[in-house]
Amino acid sequence: MRILATRTTKSHHLFDGSNHSPFCLKVQEQRRVSRVFLGLFLLGMAMVSQEAGALAGPKEQMRKQQPELPSLKPKIVRDIGKETVEADVSTHSIAVTSGFSGTKIVIFGAVNRPFPLAPDPSVYDVIVAVEGKSEPLIVRKKSNVFGLWINLGSLRFESTPSYYTMASTRPISQIADGSVLERHQIGFEHVNMTLSRNALGIRSRKEITQYQKAVIRLKRKAHLYQQQDHGVKFIGKSLFRSSFDLPADVPVGPLKASIYLFRDGNLLAQFTSHVELRREGLQRWLYDMAFNYPLFYGLMAVFFATIAGLTASAVFRRKSV
Amino acid sequence: MTLYLPIAEMSVNIFVFLGMGCAVGFLSGMFGVGAGFLMTPLLIFSGIPAVVAVGTQAAQNVASSITGAIAQYRRRNVDVKMGVVLLAGGIVGSLIGVQIVKILREAGQFELFVSLSYVTFLGIIGALMLTESLNTMRQAHAGKSVFGRSSGQHSWIHGLPFKIRFHRSKLYISAIPPLMIGAFVGFLGAIMGVGGGFIMVPAMIYLLRIPTNVVVGTSLFQIVFVTGVTAILHATTNQAVDIVLALVLMIGGVIGAQFGAAASEKLRGEQLRAMLAGLVLLVCLRIAWNLIAPPEELYSIGRMLGGH
Repeated sequence: MRILATRTTKSHHLFDGSNHSPFCLKVQEQRRVSRVFLGLFLLGMAMVSQEAGALAGPKEQMRKQQPELPSLKPKIVRDIGKETVEADVSTHSIAVTSGFSGTKIVIFGAVNRPFPLAPDPSVYDVIVAVEGKSEPLIVRKKSNVFGLWINLGSLRFESTPSYYTMASTRPISQIADGSVLERHQIGFEHVNMTLSRNALGIRSRKEITQYQKAVIRLKRKAHLYQQQDHGVKFIGKSLFRSSFDLPADVPVGPLKASIYLFRDGNLLAQFTSHVELRREGLQRWLYDMAFNYPLFYGLMAVFFATIAGLTASAVFRRKSV
Repeated sequence: MTLYLPIAEMSVNIFVFLGMGCAVGFLSGMFGVGAGFLMTPLLIFSGIPAVVAVGTQAAQNVASSITGAIAQYRRRNVDVKMGVVLLAGGIVGSLIGVQIVKILREAGQFELFVSLSYVTFLGIIGALMLTESLNTMRQAHAGKSVFGRSSGQHSWIHGLPFKIRFHRSKLYISAIPPLMIGAFVGFLGAIMGVGGGFIMVPAMIYLLRIPTNVVVGTSLFQIVFVTGVTAILHATTNQAVDIVLALVLMIGGVIGAQFGAAASEKLRGEQLRAMLAGLVLLVCLRIAWNLIAPPEELYSIGRMLGGH
């Protein structure tokens, strides 16, 4: 009896215990269902908002999408693991001397992947952009006036890159969307060109674009803006290199090299390096004189001319005698 | 061999510019004229910014005119008093010219202005010289040279106040006309990068009636100083004098001038003048063509000198 009682109590206890777990399951199930509902609700909301966005026009959509993108980006990076890019330039200091006739710089770097089973380097895209100091610039447009071609129109830019060359693993339009390139100011169309304040508002957007295109065209013709669609080459699994031609008339000053690492149209990492272009020796001295001590420079020019002339006249005299 | 020009900010082939200096020096030695009116357009055609071409040429003109000026001075063919009056006007003209260059450069119209000035002056002078030399050639007995006429005829010019006696020129005239002529030539020198002898010499002969034997010497004397002042003004106002380029052109010019002077002895005066006239007209037409021909590229990037 006692045993039975204990058994019953035990069994009861057992029953009780066995009865507990189905109850628990039920609760979990309820939670899951509610989660699904919540998910569906959110999805619905998202669709509705997207539809609303589409109805509101492309402008509205752009504005709606832009703030979402940065919140998505870190997630992706976390999913893949944080790649970084490191790079360096073959020379950090270039001397512009009397014999300067342009030079070549090599930018090489590596993609660091934190995990061993990293994807093939072909999934990565690298864009290397070398940018000279920004400078003001004026573009003029000729028009025919009574048979003569005269500069009539002009547009002043407060700042434009004096030099801009980029190399990439493939054409940049294939690497990332225009909006992404725009945000990071990559490419001739997206690089920072600031119009002069007084030029704003006077002209039509179309006309300004024409002037801007003319700057790019003229600078490309002078090899001051260059684009190498397949200029970045991967060597092995993570190393890459690219070379850049600096023409003889490359504006003297600092150059900034920006290296962008992309994957699937997203910027993963960025690295910046610098090169300094400096006038050296006689070139530097003459340039400093011309701009800082112009009177002395002018006197010096006339002095040299006088010496040259006197030397010539001495030679002439000796010849005639 | 390339040479980097510090002010023009470009890399050029040194031999091309030495050759240009030589060729222009040869012509200037052969014809006995300044090199500026040929050199400045050549520099512009070869891609040197117009302002730098004009400023640099001003310095080069000092070198090319000083030789002649010294030779003339030794032969006592310089009326220093007249030269100083012309020079005073020349400095004023140069000051105005350099400022105008600055304004035009900022407005983007300097190249147009230089081109128009060249077309106008080269056209007129080339045409005059050509007709004169052809006429002389036609008259086999070339007894009367245009530059040989010196008369005591008086014109309205001799009625002006502030008269000064110029002993060497044997003149007693007002200081105003030489001042004006000097100013005009100084102005042209500043905007065209020329010495201005091609204006100065006829003006001195026809307007001031200075005896021909002192005309060339006095003109050269004032050109040395006016171009020197112009070069300094261009250096201070427009930072437009490229010393490296100027030196290359001077070396070429000095060598070329020697051969040119030797070559001129084998040719007759009117033949030389006809050839020079032809050359002047060719340069004129070439510049005019640039103004009229539809450009391949309508847009151009303006140079912002000193915008550093």
